[in-house]
Amino acid sequence: MKKIGIFVLCIAVIACFSGIATAKTLKIGTMSPLTGPYAQDGTYILQGVKTAVKAFEASGGLPGYDKIEILAEDSACDGGKATMAANKLINSDVSAIIGCYCSSATLPSSIPVDEAGIVMLTPASTNEKITERGFKKFFRLPPRDDVQGWSAVKFMENSLKAKTVALIDDRQTYTVGLVDNIKRFAKETGKLEFVAHEHITPGDKDFTAILTSLKRLNPDVIYMSIYQPEGSLMARQVKQLEITSTLVTEDACFQPKFTEVGGAATEGIYLTFAAPVADNPVRSDFVKAYSKDWGVGENEIGSFSFFAYDAAMLVLEGVKKAGVEKLAETIRASKSLGATGEITFDEKGDRALAHAVWIVKDGAFVPYYNPLTDTMY
Amino acid sequence: MDTSSFLIQQLINAIFLGSIFSLIALGYTMVYGIIQLINFAHGEMFTAGAFAGLIVLAGLQKVGFVDSHFIISMVLVFGLGMAYVAVLGVSIEQVAYKPLRNASRLAAILSALGMSIFLSNGMMLSQGVSDRGFPNALGWEGLKIMDAKISYGQVFIIILAFALMYGLWIFVTSTKLGKAMRATAQNKPMARMLGINVDKTIRVTFMIGPGLGAAAGIMVGMYYGSVRFDMGFIYMIKAFAAAILGGIGSIPGAMLGGMIIGFVEVGWSAFLPSEWKDVTTFVVMILVLYLKPSGLLGQSATEEKV
Repeated sequence: MKKIGIFVLCIAVIACFSGIATAKTLKIGTMSPLTGPYAQDGTYILQGVKTAVKAFEASGGLPGYDKIEILAEDSACDGGKATMAANKLINSDVSAIIGCYCSSATLPSSIPVDEAGIVMLTPASTNEKITERGFKKFFRLPPRDDVQGWSAVKFMENSLKAKTVALIDDRQTYTVGLVDNIKRFAKETGKLEFVAHEHITPGDKDFTAILTSLKRLNPDVIYMSIYQPEGSLMARQVKQLEITSTLVTEDACFQPKFTEVGGAATEGIYLTFAAPVADNPVRSDFVKAYSKDWGVGENEIGSFSFFAYDAAMLVLEGVKKAGVEKLAETIRASKSLGATGEITFDEKGDRALAHAVWIVKDGAFVPYYNPLTDTMY
Repeated sequence: MDTSSFLIQQLINAIFLGSIFSLIALGYTMVYGIIQLINFAHGEMFTAGAFAGLIVLAGLQKVGFVDSHFIISMVLVFGLGMAYVAVLGVSIEQVAYKPLRNASRLAAILSALGMSIFLSNGMMLSQGVSDRGFPNALGWEGLKIMDAKISYGQVFIIILAFALMYGLWIFVTSTKLGKAMRATAQNKPMARMLGINVDKTIRVTFMIGPGLGAAAGIMVGMYYGSVRFDMGFIYMIKAFAAAILGGIGSIPGAMLGGMIIGFVEVGWSAFLPSEWKDVTTFVVMILVLYLKPSGLLGQSATEEKV
């Protein structure tokens, strides 16, 4: 009796495996921080990809494939963990990888992906070095940090007419890279004087000592090159200490949590982020689908969900058009309309996107200044 | 901002930070004093307290009770938060530490580490991975001392922290249970022989230590405005350093250690390059331990003497 049982079990197991073998599955890997301080951003990215796959399947799916599977890995905003995640995804035979959030995770983890010849698209990492390495199958959806740094400098020089600036970063690849860009572009005109450059530790909650020092220096602008968790707290402490300097920050703070946690203290803060996109059907469909899928309000969608959605759609449409083998060439040659506007890529895998300066008004981000034309919105 | 207001402001910053570190450090030192165990789960107790406080405060805020009865709601927030974590502390002691009381010390430390990971993941699953905003119950207004500003929220928190520490001091030095606690810490078999209920004393310690940690958690959440499941980690490390610096096992040592860490952190970022802040904190700790291995106020022989 027992032997028969084992025999039946074996048959069942074999049947299961052969079942998987015959069903053709398209595997897409995602790497984003699902634990740790940036888990919210990582979740936004994963949810954007999931919404894309769901919408794509609803509109007909992939001919020749039975299903589309998302393998979600945790990159934890850490180079080591992200590289491990990348190797795991490579070994699982994914056709494309979407990730990571932090530049410090994308820089090292894209190396094994490139060596394995797999297409990788980042929906959030903006450090310009990422696409300067000549990778043939790497694409970036958001605008680069040299664009962001330049825009911030133009804004501080021409719109705020600032003379003195204090910089704060948290010593991570993205934040330090951005501050370097700002220093570089400010040097060209020489209009800004940097009176302080402070560093915080990610995870810290108390910045009062640094902020008190800055209050004494009383710079025109305090530029916060930090991520959202620290950004919200710092905004609150700036208000608490009654510091009158103007606060300018960047795209890592550009997400609903920034104003939710920071509350009234974030009112009037300026942020650089990709220029506003004219409403298009893809965008409005995405907004509707996303808020329905995840039960959130239409203005509570994470900013990088949009880029993640576009990245996933590029992969799916690319595979549909010319198969997995030619995916990189298809994406490079493609010209499509996405939730983040017109999508085309240059030689390096970057899009020609501009930054705008936004302002927090009644808890929402509103376009404020266009650094390219030196005009207000 | 002139130099004297600058100094006053930094002093306020340091006292505020120091009093929170002191409260957390007390939890380490009390548990170590009584069963010679580094309670690595203490950082999670701190976070659990913050979440409990957040839930109570958000509930009260919703019905508009905080604006009408501020004092009663603060008593409720801190009382319920601390009580919840006190129960949590005792249960952890029963589940994770009591069965190992006669096992090697390494086993108990591993159990503590496991408990820390378990609680941290539990909070991640139940409370979510992202920052949760704390309702702003304390407002933005405050007192002005020249150009320096101390908000009423900070005043409230500093007074409460010192009141809790003073209360603990009175409890340990002049109540019967406090005396039993000190006796148990000094020599367990002897205390038992003299009729002290050692188990009960240990349980009380595991209520007070985590309870104080919970109070610190609520203070941090309330003042800084956000809580996250892993926020206990950085506080745990610094408070642990404070407890060791002051002499682990010594209650005044933990209070002093917390204040020193607060002052070093603030003082360093106020006058010197801030990127070295964390390094300095631990260099100070190492220096103190090098010169005085038992810590500033620690006794060199905390081992059982019989």
